[in-house]
Amino acid sequence: MRPMARPIAAAALLALGACEMGGSTGYVELKTVPVAARMPALFLDADKVDAKAGVTVLRQPVGTARLQADIGEGKVLLCHVVVKKNRITTVTISPLERPPRCQCERTGNDSKACIG
Amino acid sequence: MVSEFAAGATVKPGLFGAAMLVMALFVLSQTPARAEADSKTGATADTEFSQQLGELKKSFADVGRTIDESAKSNDTIQNPEQGRKSIEELRDQVSTLLNAVADNGEISKLGAKALSLADEKLKSLDRETRYKPEEKQYLVNRWRELKTATEAAIRELDGARKDFSELLRSLQTSEDYIGELMQIREHEKALQVIHQLSEGIRDASVKLKKLLGAIQPPGV
Repeated sequence: MRPMARPIAAAALLALGACEMGGSTGYVELKTVPVAARMPALFLDADKVDAKAGVTVLRQPVGTARLQADIGEGKVLLCHVVVKKNRITTVTISPLERPPRCQCERTGNDSKACIG
Repeated sequence: MVSEFAAGATVKPGLFGAAMLVMALFVLSQTPARAEADSKTGATADTEFSQQLGELKKSFADVGRTIDESAKSNDTIQNPEQGRKSIEELRDQVSTLLNAVADNGEISKLGAKALSLADEKLKSLDRETRYKPEEKQYLVNRWRELKTATEAAIRELDGARKDFSELLRSLQTSEDYIGELMQIREHEKALQVIHQLSEGIRDASVKLKKLLGAIQPPGV
């Protein structure tokens, strides 16, 4: 089995890559309240978000993304964002709280997951 | 999975050294070419931004026609399931629009790049001593005009992003509400929601047409 592990893993990675490339898109809307507050560095999965004051709209592959903030002591998970095809998931972040907190328009069973 | 790859890998020291040398030579040979390419990218950012905006206008006009047709057909829908399908198709169209203007989309990135290029150019022209004052002034004026036009186009894109986000949210909320109504067999009420939505779609179509008129690719 072991000699087969590498080709199988490589094939799985390729398939995953192909899925992501041809995959569907949804959107994440990040709102900052209050607008003037200084936002810590935000990350949606591995990507750093160039969050603007107010509202930032990002296209994102369908699935669940981790929204994290770097508050100086490393990255902290704020919430999971569930992205659905051709739908927009809105997350409001209050940077005045330490760590910042996500407010979801709609949550799933897990209160830390915002869904669109 | 990665650790398994690492654990399974056995590399001979001689081979490793040779591989590192080849890699170092490759990196050195690529550096000037990459620097040249980077400077070329910077210099063409404004041109590329203008081109992409021009293409965006064309594709938005096509989507606008589809949205108009959807608004017309929405009025005649007699079946909630058909209405839901129509909203789903509309979401697909609006998603195409939002995809193009998202903050992490290509056009937004190009816009930011074009703006920073104009800023850099104005700063470097300020330090420029080779040209006659009138030549320098001419270049400064042209770059100022380009910067103003780029800022205006970026503002239009910001507005479009806001409008398309609102429309997408409104469509998905209506679709969810119609789904809820159908679960409790309120088909008449669901149809009313579908027909009321037509007004919002027409409004979006008008906004899209205004946007098409307002977006002016810089330097054109």
